[in-house]
This record gives sequence, C-alpha cells and structure tokens, in this order.
Amino acid sequence: MNAANPRFVLAFIAFGGVLGFVLPNHATTLLTEALILCLFALSLDLLVGHARLTSFGHAGPWGFGAYMAAGMMLAWQVPLPLAVLAAGLVTALLAIPVGWLCVRTGGVTFAMLSLAFAQLGYAVVFKWNAVTGGSDGLPGIPRAGLSDFMASREGYHLLVTVVLAAAYVLAWAFVHSPLGRVVAAVRENEQRAEALGHDPRRIRLIVFVLSYFLAGVAGALYAGFARYVSPELFFWTVSGHILVMVVLGGAGTLVGPMLGALAFFYVEHELSALTESWGLALGIMFIFVVIFAPRGLMGVLQGLRRT
Amino acid sequence: MDPLALFALQLLNALSLSALFFFLAVGLTLIFGIMRVVNFAHGALFMFGAYVGVVAQTLSGSFIFSLVAAPLAAGLLGIAFERSALSRLYAREHSAFLLVTFGLALALTEAIRLIWGADARQAELPVFLAGIIFVMDEPFPVYRLFLIGAGVMCALACWAGLQRTRIGLLLRAASQNAGMTAALGNDVARIRALVFALACALAALGGALAAPLLSASLGLGSNVIIDAFVIVMIGGMGSFIGTAAGSLLLGFAQTFGNFYLPELSLGMTYAVMIAVLVLRPGGLFGRSE
Amino acid sequence: MRNLTMGRRTALGLLAAPALIRPAAAQSGPIRIGVPTAMTGTWAVLGAQVVRTCRLWARTVNAEGGLLGRPVEFLFEDTQGVPANCLRKAQEMVERDRVNILLGLMASSEALAVMPKLAEWNALFISSVNGAGSITAEHWVPNAFRANTSGPMGARALALWLRAAPQTEFFSLSLDYAWGRSSVETFEGLLRGIGKRSIGSVFAPVGTRDYSSFITRIRQANPQALYIALTGDDGTAFLRQAAQFRLFERMPVVTETVDMLFTRPAGDAAIGLVGGSRYTFTLNNPANAAFVQRFRSELNELPDTYDGEQWQACEVLATAVRKARRTDTEAVVAALRDLEMSSIKGPLKIRACDGQAEQAGLVVRVDRRDGMPHPVPEVIATYAPSEVTPACRAANFA
Repeated sequence: MNAANPRFVLAFIAFGGVLGFVLPNHATTLLTEALILCLFALSLDLLVGHARLTSFGHAGPWGFGAYMAAGMMLAWQVPLPLAVLAAGLVTALLAIPVGWLCVRTGGVTFAMLSLAFAQLGYAVVFKWNAVTGGSDGLPGIPRAGLSDFMASREGYHLLVTVVLAAAYVLAWAFVHSPLGRVVAAVRENEQRAEALGHDPRRIRLIVFVLSYFLAGVAGALYAGFARYVSPELFFWTVSGHILVMVVLGGAGTLVGPMLGALAFFYVEHELSALTESWGLALGIMFIFVVIFAPRGLMGVLQGLRRT
Repeated sequence: MDPLALFALQLLNALSLSALFFFLAVGLTLIFGIMRVVNFAHGALFMFGAYVGVVAQTLSGSFIFSLVAAPLAAGLLGIAFERSALSRLYAREHSAFLLVTFGLALALTEAIRLIWGADARQAELPVFLAGIIFVMDEPFPVYRLFLIGAGVMCALACWAGLQRTRIGLLLRAASQNAGMTAALGNDVARIRALVFALACALAALGGALAAPLLSASLGLGSNVIIDAFVIVMIGGMGSFIGTAAGSLLLGFAQTFGNFYLPELSLGMTYAVMIAVLVLRPGGLFGRSE
Repeated sequence: MRNLTMGRRTALGLLAAPALIRPAAAQSGPIRIGVPTAMTGTWAVLGAQVVRTCRLWARTVNAEGGLLGRPVEFLFEDTQGVPANCLRKAQEMVERDRVNILLGLMASSEALAVMPKLAEWNALFISSVNGAGSITAEHWVPNAFRANTSGPMGARALALWLRAAPQTEFFSLSLDYAWGRSSVETFEGLLRGIGKRSIGSVFAPVGTRDYSSFITRIRQANPQALYIALTGDDGTAFLRQAAQFRLFERMPVVTETVDMLFTRPAGDAAIGLVGGSRYTFTLNNPANAAFVQRFRSELNELPDTYDGEQWQACEVLATAVRKARRTDTEAVVAALRDLEMSSIKGPLKIRACDGQAEQAGLVVRVDRRDGMPHPVPEVIATYAPSEVTPACRAANFA
C-alpha cells in the first residue's frame, strides 16, 4: 500500500483517534498535542512543499490563531468549535495583506519576510500588556461551550482528530484540484505558467491564505488544548522547529510532514527524558538523516516498499 | 550633558555595535553568496568563538592570543563539517542545508554546555584596552574604540582580499557561476571548504571580540542569529558592501532607537527589515533573485 | 523495542483505567516529587541550581531515614524554560508517574501555564523561583504556594532601606517583561511614599546585549542613584559595560535582586552594589551555617540564590508532609495552610489566603570577604515579614 494514498492516511488518522480511547491518560494527552502539530506541519507543507515558498515565520499564524481563540473564549465565552473556526478565518484575513507583501518575493527573501512578520507579532504580543497579558500570557482559557464529554481529554482528542482529518481532505483536494495543478505549474516554471495566462502572484497568495488558515486553526486548537497562551508561541524557534519537521518528513507529500512532526515530537520528548544532552543526539541525528535520507522519512518509507 | 557630547557618544556607541554586527554577519553573507547555503549554525559558531576566546585567554593570559585561537578552532571545525556533511549535499535542495545546519547548531550548543558547563564565563580585559578616553569630558571605553578599529580593518581586509587577489577573483567568479568556474579548471570543492572555514573563523573572531562586553553564555547563539539574518537580508544576501551597510544601519537603528524610542525597539528591527524587503526584495545592495 | 514498550504501556493503561478512582499518590514506597525545570537553554544556569540542591536535599533526608520513613525520590525533566514543554512534562509526571507534588518550575510563564491544571490533576505546586506578583494575586489557585520571596517583596525591602539613603532622585532600568515592569512599578510607588522621586525609567528589551545606549541615557538623566531590575546574562552584560563606562564612579547602583550568578562574572565591578536579596549564603543563623557547610563539602561550591530558595521550598514541603503524616494532595495542602516553621532564611509562615510565605526581607551589599575568591553579598538590613509582604492576593502595595 502506498503511504501517500489518501485512504491510507485517513485510516491512519482515524487510528490515531481510536488510540486516544485506549492509551493511558498521559499518552492520550501527548498524542493530542502531536496531532495538533501534525495539522500545523500540514499547513506549512502547502507553502513549502507545493508552492516552494519556504516560510520561516509560520509561528506567526500559529500564535495569532492561538491568541484569537484564547481571547474569544476568555472574553466572550465563544463556544470552542466556533472560536477555532473564527480564529482560522481571522488568520486567513490577516494573511491577505501579509501574503500580498510576501509572495512578491521568493526564496530566502520570502523566508526572511515571513520571519519578520512573525517576530513583529511576537513584539506586539509581548508589549501589549493590557490586552495580551505580556510575558505572563493568558492562563486559564476555558473550553467554552463544549459538552462535558467533548471538554474531556478523550472528547478533545476526538475533536482534534476530526479537524485534522478534515484539514487533510481539504489540503489533498486542493492539491489535486485544477487550481492545485496550476500551483504546481507555477512552482515548476513560472514563465510558462504566466504565458498560459496565470498570475503567479495571485496563485501564490491563494496558497498562502489557505496555509495561514490551517495554521491559525492549529494554533487555536493548541490554545484550547493547553488552556494557556504566551508570547513564546510566536518565537522564531517555533518556526524553525516546524520547518524542520516538514523537511524531515519529506516536503510536498502532505503525509510526510505529518510523519516528520510525529517523529520530531516523540523523539525529542523521549530523548529529553533520557538525557540532558538530548540536543547533541538530536542534532547529530538530523545531520545523518539529511545525508542518508535525501527525501526525508517519506523517501525512506517508499524506498522500503520498493525493495 | 552637552548635546554635542551626547551625539558624539551615541555615534561611537553605534559604530562599536556596528563593528560587532559586521563580524557576525560577514561570514553569513560570504557563505550565502558563494555556496547558496543559509547557515543556521552561525550564531552557535559566534558563541563557540566567545567560549574558546575566554578559555584561551584564561589559559594563556593573553587577550591577543585568544583572538587567534578562537578563529583557528572554529575554522578547523568548519572545514571538518564542510568536508564530512555539507560537501555531500551541494546537488540537493535548499532545505537540506537548513536541516543540516540546524542539526549542527543544536549539537554544537549542547557540546559547549557539556565541555564548559552552564555558568557564564568571562575574562578581564588587558590593561592597554581596559582604560577610558574622554570625549568632551565624558568617559568612553578604549575597548569600544578598539572594536571600531578592528571592524574597519576587517572590512578593508575582506574587501582587498575579494578585489585584489587571485583567490578573491575565484570567489567572485564562483558566486556568479559555480559551473563556469569549475569548467575553467578551478577546484570548486576546495573553494567551498575554504569559504566555509573562513566564514566560521570570522564568526568566532566576532564572538571572541564580544566576550569582554557580554561574557560567554549559552543563550548567546540563538540570541544573535536573528540579528545576523536581518543584517544580511537588509544589505542584500551575498553582497559584501551590503553587509557593511546593513551592520551600520542596524547598529545605528538599535543605538538611537534604544535611546529615543525604547518602547518600540523590540519590534523596530523587524519593521525596518520588512520595509527594506518590500521596497527592494533583493536588499539594499543585492541582486533580486 | 519501541513497539513492545508501547504495547506494554497500552496494556497497563487498560488495566489501570478502573484504578483511577484510587487516590493518585500511594501511601507507601518512595515519595516521588516532580521537578520539570530548565536544564538547557537560556535558564540552564538557574535550573542547574535547582537540580543540584534537590539532589543534595534528597541525599540528606534519605540519609536520615527519609520522610515519614519513606525515601524521597526526585524526577527531573528538561523544559528548556518553555511553557508548552513544562506543561507537557508536568502532565506526564502527574499522570504517568503518579507524582502529586511539583517543585522547581523556572520561568513565571511556566508556573502560570501549569497552575490552572493543578485542580484537575489533583496535584500541588510549591514555587521556589517564580517572582511574578500575579502568581499570588489575580492568577492564584488554591493548590499553589510560594516559598520564595516574590519580585514585589524584593522591591519593597530595598525601598525601605532607601528611606535612610541620602539620595532623593532615582532612575530605573529594567528588563522589559512582567517581573521587571512590576518591580519598577512597585519601586516607583514606594519612592513617592518616602518623599523621594523617580526622574525617569527605561525598559530594555529581553535579549539586549549592548547597553551602551542605555548607559548614555542614564548619564544624561544624571540621577543621584540608579535602580536596576536585571538578572542572568542581561545583568552580567550591563554590569560589565557600566563598569567599562565608569558609571559606578558617578552614582551608586541599587538592584532588585543580587545573585552571585551575575555579580561573580562582573568581578570587582560589582563591589558596592546594594540590592534586595532572596537568599545569600552569608545569612547568619545556625540552620544556614549548617546548610552552607554541607553544600560546600558535598558540591565544593557556594550556594547561590536559588540553591537557598530551593532548599527552603524542600523544607517547607517536608514540614507540611510531617504535619499531615501523609502525602496525598488534600492533606498536604491543608497542612501547608498557615504552616509556621523556621528554615535557613529564618522563621516563615505560609499564609492560607494566597499561599505566599511571609518571611523577612533582606538587603545586601556586595563586598570583598577574606577567604573568598570573589566579592560576596553581605546582609546590611533585615525587615520584618509584615513590612515586606503585600496584602493578600495583591501584587503591589496600596
């Protein structure tokens, strides 16, 4: 079976959902967080893998979505599913001007522009004490408007699983739609796509907005999961980590980045419990993966299937 | 304080900070210009230089020796890393370098903690650099003047090296077109190893020079890397003049920003970068990609 | 291998599910205490103090036969000082390892992330490091306690000392985050109360490396004295650069907290520095002398601020557990409320209303001392707990 087959991926996500009901409590909580990161990585893959726009500022929409949802639930008791959706939409709205400025460029310039916007968000959240709580963050976010079951550990896990599955279907459908094929055409040969009457900037902006929407949703789910948001969510190290997850898993495959997120998250978690020097082990491991697994974890999986 | 004295002091403050920024960023731009590698580990190498410098000075008692030892150690580390890891990846995509240098940054930071511990380390300045001079009756540290001088010397040396030597010619050619240079019979592999080592050495020299101001501590690497990226982007990736201009721009923006608009200084660096990149996507002196 | 482990855990989880109704903490076997703290990253230096002191304390207690006759066992996990990691590690300690007592959280933001979860986890937390005023004010929760001196308490002690100082015009420089801002706010408010005034303040962004511009600003303002709330790498960088600019020859400097962590790297530049102190090894009482002696003989180092604070937090926990005669959360929390005891910092009382330990406020001056390789903080004033502790669930002084 092909690891990138959407039926297989959905089955895998469903399996993750079921696991939430059989694993011990702490493992379920860990898995919920890992699945939220999968969604975050999936959103970035649309940019990095499909539009070849290497964003180094994806902490921006993630943090923005988290703060938006947190604010709505704290201030107005907006029901959580609505708050998550609304946070995603507001993030998408923000993505229009930000993206309009970013997609005029490409390559490293795009990476650094996206970084600058995320860091600007960090600065604003950090300084605007009255609204954002500054460096203290916002503790005690309620899971507003959910039934007792949905607000419970298992219920929330189920919610995250369903959203992840829906996001995957959306991303897959987008990539395989006529519009998605235009994105690929623009990526492979911009001049030719332009000659065929496509506006590369508009095409890129559409991917940008979709990617920010999903990242905003992921951030909002994280706010409801942790019930706490702080400026660290915007910090550049978050952008760096999620980008490494995407590349590690294999950019451009949708499922690869999710695998990368799972691998990074669990390996770091287990290593750091094992030794204080987890950074050394993880760093050396990355270097080996890059050298010996050129197409990331997906490449390794597909290689195994062929042999 | 006399307004003129205030201005003179701030000018010197900004220049000394710009000099440090230049050491930090020039290696990054060199690596990008010639190798098309975005080096995530550059901050970690800067920090490594600070530690080696402090340790070398403590052992030898000579500050000048520490300025030799730090770049030498980092240069060797750079060659080893380029030969064993980077050199296998030149045919691959950008993202491979990202992951591999990210790995180096993680590993190097932890190695430093294992070798030298979590406590900050520092050494005292030698007597001839520890004094003060008076700028219109206001004291100013001699060491900061030394930094400005070192920055100017380094910039001139780099410029002369690039413009006036055969190696410099090759480097410039390699940055224009690697395939062409190879066809002309030049060993691109050796040039790349040399450039990477040189860039690491420059970062480490900057770290060793910064140590008397900041002391060597574990947060240093992740703290400075973003500044380095900002400078290189503002100046134009791969442009030597641009890096010098970017260092000055950021040095002045931070020094005067901290004075007049401290409330905004956290976000100002990024606002400046956005403004430059939106108006000139290739940076002030760079080619647009 | 990995699959086997997962399988075993899954099986255990299924078996354990009905057993969840049991009290989380067993009443036999070792007493396990969770310490999710920053062992790497920017806060690694402080985390190292927390970890080494917990280890020393466990060795000491276990050598004396343990607590309630049970050995004490610490579980350490690295959080890198990031709230998301701290939450995850703490959760795992509570739910997988059946820990119900948490100590040694590093950043205030980490504590604030964990505190709202305590009720759900049926766990308790005793702070030894976290200074943010809000922890015992608007963000207080019933299962959280603070054994250490808070930021506002440190600022208060210093302001009381300054009543007698000849200087009347002050300028403040602090780090731009919650702790720094609340310190300056408290300090400036207190100045007004004692007939002195603040002629300006400036907040340096976190991660500032070059302080020359701030030093110039201070010189231009030309106050009679300078108040700083900086710590760690930022404090070291500022002190070194200010000494290079000969700032200390112009004006005395007072600081919210004096840690050897940043005065030691500053070398002789720190001599004469006056500040509040959460703990100093030079405290003159028998309990502290015994602690310092043990610390030096076992670790061959002088205990610094958070060594002392962590030791006190461990002692608070031990006293409460002995009083409760058990370790389950309800009993220990009940025993902690209004607990009165004496520790290496002197007498203290955990007040029931917000969990803050009322304790003496210290002011120290950094000076040379015979037999010490570097200048050390010496106590120059001590204030009664009632003078330095804010009102219940208040972060500052009315």
